Amino acid sequence: MTVAEVTGRKRIDWPRMLGRHGWTGGVWLLFAAIVIYYMTLIPSFGAFQITSLAKNSLPLVFLAVAQAIIVIAGGIDLGIGAVLVFGNAVAAQLMDGQPFATTILIAIGVVVLCAVLNGVVGWIIAVSRVPDIVVTLATLFIISGLALLVLPSPGGGTSEGFRAIFTGSATGSGTNFIPPLILLTLPVAVAAYFMRRTRTGLSIYATGSDPMAAFLSAVNTKRAKVVSYALGGAYAGLAGLAALAITGSGESRFVTAANFTLRAVAAIVLGGIALTGGVGSVVGATAAGLILFTLNPVLSAMGIDPNTAQVIQGTLIVVVMMVAGIIQLRRERAE
Amino acid sequence: MTDLGTRVSPEGATTRPVWATWLSDHPQAVLSVVLLALVLVTAVIEPSYLSVRGIRNTVLLAAPLGIMAGAQTILMLTGGIDLSVGMIATGAAYVAANQSPNGAAIAIALGLLIGVAVGTVNGVGVGVFRVNPIIMTLAMNAILIGLFTALSFTVLQGSTTVHEFISTLGGGSFFGNRIPYNALVWLVVSILIIYGLRRTGYGRLLYAVGDNAVAVRLAGVRIWQVHIVAYAIAGVLAALAGILLAGRTGAVDLQLAVNFLLPSVAAAVIGGTSIFGGIGTYGGTILGALILGVLATMLTFLDAGQAIQNIVYGSIVLALSWLYARVSEAD
Repeated sequence: MTVAEVTGRKRIDWPRMLGRHGWTGGVWLLFAAIVIYYMTLIPSFGAFQITSLAKNSLPLVFLAVAQAIIVIAGGIDLGIGAVLVFGNAVAAQLMDGQPFATTILIAIGVVVLCAVLNGVVGWIIAVSRVPDIVVTLATLFIISGLALLVLPSPGGGTSEGFRAIFTGSATGSGTNFIPPLILLTLPVAVAAYFMRRTRTGLSIYATGSDPMAAFLSAVNTKRAKVVSYALGGAYAGLAGLAALAITGSGESRFVTAANFTLRAVAAIVLGGIALTGGVGSVVGATAAGLILFTLNPVLSAMGIDPNTAQVIQGTLIVVVMMVAGIIQLRRERAE
Repeated sequence: MTDLGTRVSPEGATTRPVWATWLSDHPQAVLSVVLLALVLVTAVIEPSYLSVRGIRNTVLLAAPLGIMAGAQTILMLTGGIDLSVGMIATGAAYVAANQSPNGAAIAIALGLLIGVAVGTVNGVGVGVFRVNPIIMTLAMNAILIGLFTALSFTVLQGSTTVHEFISTLGGGSFFGNRIPYNALVWLVVSILIIYGLRRTGYGRLLYAVGDNAVAVRLAGVRIWQVHIVAYAIAGVLAALAGILLAGRTGAVDLQLAVNFLLPSVAAAVIGGTSIFGGIGTYGGTILGALILGVLATMLTFLDAGQAIQNIVYGSIVLALSWLYARVSEAD
């Protein structure tokens, strides 16, 4: 029980709040600043731009949430991009030419399948005691190979209704920004609630923070690990579905899987999640995912070509991490 | 991490089978057996493989990978990793191709210089600013992709072929077309790395930093210097691998070495180098690279597509690392 509860006064401990949520708040402010800047760049900023930003950032945001959950549990999943591609490939292959109701059932099936698949990855890590990074490096190859078996060349399809759920229109582009915004907020809110307010979510934080202490406090660390990977798999599957809804067809190249993994790792680090585990939140990762996506249209609106834009993005990540490193160093020196 | 509480057996002492003791003492024996088995399986699939020419082709494939995995091994010993090796290699190949009209020596030197420059920046990020190696090199990879894509339309445009000497070095053979030149380069690099790791003070520092960085710092070592040098060496090795690759394929493009990134990590992991630092040998990595080389040849003979190849690669990495974990667990 905190002091405030005992004395009955509700006083907010500002330094503590800032220390705990400062980075998350900062990342959201940065995102807001980027969007406002984007508004000034494009005079016609309106429903179309909002829709475009919301729907196109869905895959990366979901994947960032997936990686966030796994990293908070003390792991890291290099194969998460492959799970996205696998979900995308399976869904595209099965949904092609199916009516709306069937595609929804398939979508649920794909999310469950991805959860089970990545849950097995987590189980292998827990049982084999091989480092997460090694096991998931292997599963990046294996799962992207499976995706390629399911969908040998880009193709497949989905129903118009299914595309509308994610993008707001049957063709995948339009000005109805309500569905993509709902799709953006709802899964993130569920993940945030789960991580902070449920017993299992807290056990994931505890395991990532200090597995030994968590174990001695009767937390089932093995279960926490498996659950974090399974949940990550579910969100990666959702990301794959979002990618399918946006483009209308499936794609299963290895490069796509590897790139998505790398961007998801960049997103969670920018989002304030420590790779050592136990620190950060899915809300911060969401903002970082949004930033990483939004930078593309902003930089192109500034008249910067995509290659220079990529250099700028990479430099930005490095600079942010260097600043964070210096802050950390000064804190350690001060203690 | 998840072995909490299960380490002490009820009897108070761990019983380990004799084979496990032997294997943990001779990790490279396992790899040699795996390598030999793979060679034999390949020979069964394609009888003509067991010839000088067949083996030569495998070595030709494995040499650039082995050199790049050397970069990975050195960094993994310090607890680091370099995810930008693929783009360093590609960039170095581009520069070497661009400078080829000025002679092979200048082309190679400037290509290697790219490796030193990028590696040093990585090292400063990791060593001085304490950025996580995965993030630092990942971001560097993104920066290099953007940079060289942009440059390939301007300064480096048309720089797609390398000097004749480089093509011979990367793809040619001597001694009656039996021994590839790049194997010779690999041999020299191997001797340097193995000697460096075993017999020099710096080599021991690499192990020490990976094993216990705090202890090393308290012993008066400036760890950031160790990191910068290690990343610079890794950059040079990656650049060298890229130049050899350019010589072998005969043409430089942006995809040149991209597919080598993960196998380079895989080769080191298969070779028994711990991703957490402090444990590993380059000898193991050499075997790892050869195993991946034979595997690639075998899958080509089987006409297996990219899908099957990826699945087999991943399964091998998983199976071997699991075996290592089982064997070292009983210690």
